Amino acid sequence: MAGLYLESRLEFLRATQNADGGWGYFPGKHSWMEPTTYAMLALHGTPGSDALLDRAWRLVRSWQLPDGSVRPGAGIEGGTWVTAHAVTLACLRGVHDSNVSRSVDWMLHVVGAEHNPAMRAASYFHMLKTKLDVSHQGWPWRNGNASWIEPTAHTLVALKKVSKNYRSAELEHRVREGEDLLFSRRCSDGGWNCGNPNVLNFDLPSYPETTGVALIGLEGRSVRELAQPLEVARRFRTETKSSLAKAWLSIGLRCHGENPEPPSDTARVSSDIMLAALETLAHPEGNYRLLKTEGLA
Amino acid sequence: MNRRKFLTLSGAAVAGTYASMKLQKPPQIPDGPPGDSVVAILRARSYSDDLVSRMLEGIRQCGLDVRGKRVLLKPNLVEFDSATVINTDATVIAAALEVFQHLGAAEVKIGEGPGHRRDTLDLADDARYRATIPKFENIFTDLNRDDVSPVFDFANESRFYFPNTVLGADLIVSLAKMKTHHWAGATLSMKNFFGIVPGSLYGWPKNKLHYIGIQESVVALNRKFRNTFAIVDGIIGMEGNGPIQGTPKPTGVLVMGRDLVAVDSTCCRIMGIDPEKVDYLRMAAGLGHVHGSRIQQRGESVASVRTNFALIDEFQGLRLA
Repeated sequence: MAGLYLESRLEFLRATQNADGGWGYFPGKHSWMEPTTYAMLALHGTPGSDALLDRAWRLVRSWQLPDGSVRPGAGIEGGTWVTAHAVTLACLRGVHDSNVSRSVDWMLHVVGAEHNPAMRAASYFHMLKTKLDVSHQGWPWRNGNASWIEPTAHTLVALKKVSKNYRSAELEHRVREGEDLLFSRRCSDGGWNCGNPNVLNFDLPSYPETTGVALIGLEGRSVRELAQPLEVARRFRTETKSSLAKAWLSIGLRCHGENPEPPSDTARVSSDIMLAALETLAHPEGNYRLLKTEGLA
Repeated sequence: MNRRKFLTLSGAAVAGTYASMKLQKPPQIPDGPPGDSVVAILRARSYSDDLVSRMLEGIRQCGLDVRGKRVLLKPNLVEFDSATVINTDATVIAAALEVFQHLGAAEVKIGEGPGHRRDTLDLADDARYRATIPKFENIFTDLNRDDVSPVFDFANESRFYFPNTVLGADLIVSLAKMKTHHWAGATLSMKNFFGIVPGSLYGWPKNKLHYIGIQESVVALNRKFRNTFAIVDGIIGMEGNGPIQGTPKPTGVLVMGRDLVAVDSTCCRIMGIDPEKVDYLRMAAGLGHVHGSRIQQRGESVASVRTNFALIDEFQGLRLA
């Protein structure tokens, strides 16, 4: 890797690792799984990062709970959607042990609550205020809640990656269901918001950042199926001034073989650690490829 | 009985029960805590009015003392659409910042955790917070991604996490927007506290609150955080399909008070909504005053500023006689 843009961000990430091995959302703050994941992905394979990454991995492992789920941060009780990130990191590091297997089992066990019989009956009788197809199984932010776009997309990446070593009929089924859920939750404009495209018969608009994340979750699906979302993503990427959205959209587009223009070498490094890591991943020479899965193995 | 018939009968039973519950006359609202509550209604016809003077007057009328306190200003920053008015106006936040600093607060911070969007600073940019509020980035905390600590007395949860910035504040000022809401009927100072729940743990949207129950969560948040003050931006509110897709409704008021139940009840009356029919206010009646007879109105009268907000079909029944 070369270039001021990448080097300045990688240097920032190396300098902001906490003593426990993780990263906070901002320098000096407690370690959280989400920024730790993106920092690890960004630094993966970069010169001089091995020791940092080993420490970070030890922390991630320490956050795994007996049921296989992973805590979202230091001192937080209970595992959440970030379990998917831990599995993705395990795949990256070539770890395929019983701990990973337990995490996979946990993810396969978790289903968005809108899929339960009561909600499906309510949907059948048009008693919901939202127009949702609740027939598909996705993933929630927290077990016991409804499915949303981001946790579903990240879990799809993890399951597709881990499928090389843990393939099962159930895993294949959940991947197809998760992808179908993403397709079913598209907004009328072709992109995605959090996962609620219509409330009380009013269409809600899509968001740039979630559209980028959803495209990553659908990596491996044909460009033909995704023609409209990709078009929306290209437009969003041109129009948005959100650096976070630009990064997610760039990763999403690159995962589908597109090559959006790289940012200026002199773009300032944000003090937002997750953003700095995502910008690094999103660069043409960045590690966005690590999120590619090519679908089920 | 086949599956379709079973589902049909089950649905009919549920619908019937729901309809009969709705038809029942709601029980009397309790009187609320002892004493009356003061709510100030200050006229402000536009955002270029002298909002600092209005707020100083309102705070004086409400008898709030902020000297030496760590104050957290909690605006309502949700999404941005240049065609409407979703968020607390930047000038209202800038004025509140100046006011609380002027009144001797030890520290004044701004914090918000938007429920739908991940890039909080980008939203703040769109809403002109960074351009309008001096040194905004130095005093602003993204509550979605703040460090957190557990509490053990929230909404029957064994533990629930809140941002340290919120837990460390001596006074939380709800700088809310006067809007209709497609789930709750109205969103005002009390529901604004949804934004203190961290997305890093509860997601975007904060779906955990939906499972606790929207109305129940509004009440639980306000039961948990009692050192509060409200300033509702009703200079231009939102009517119709709020809180995001409604249309601007010039109302020309700031509504302020220490009793957030009374503030929201007053705002409802200004909007032409009967607060006694708003579920979360009915449920919160033990925390503050809903009954107009227990609210000492200062500044303008409700009648002089009342302007009926358009309501979606779902909430036509909330209309104040």
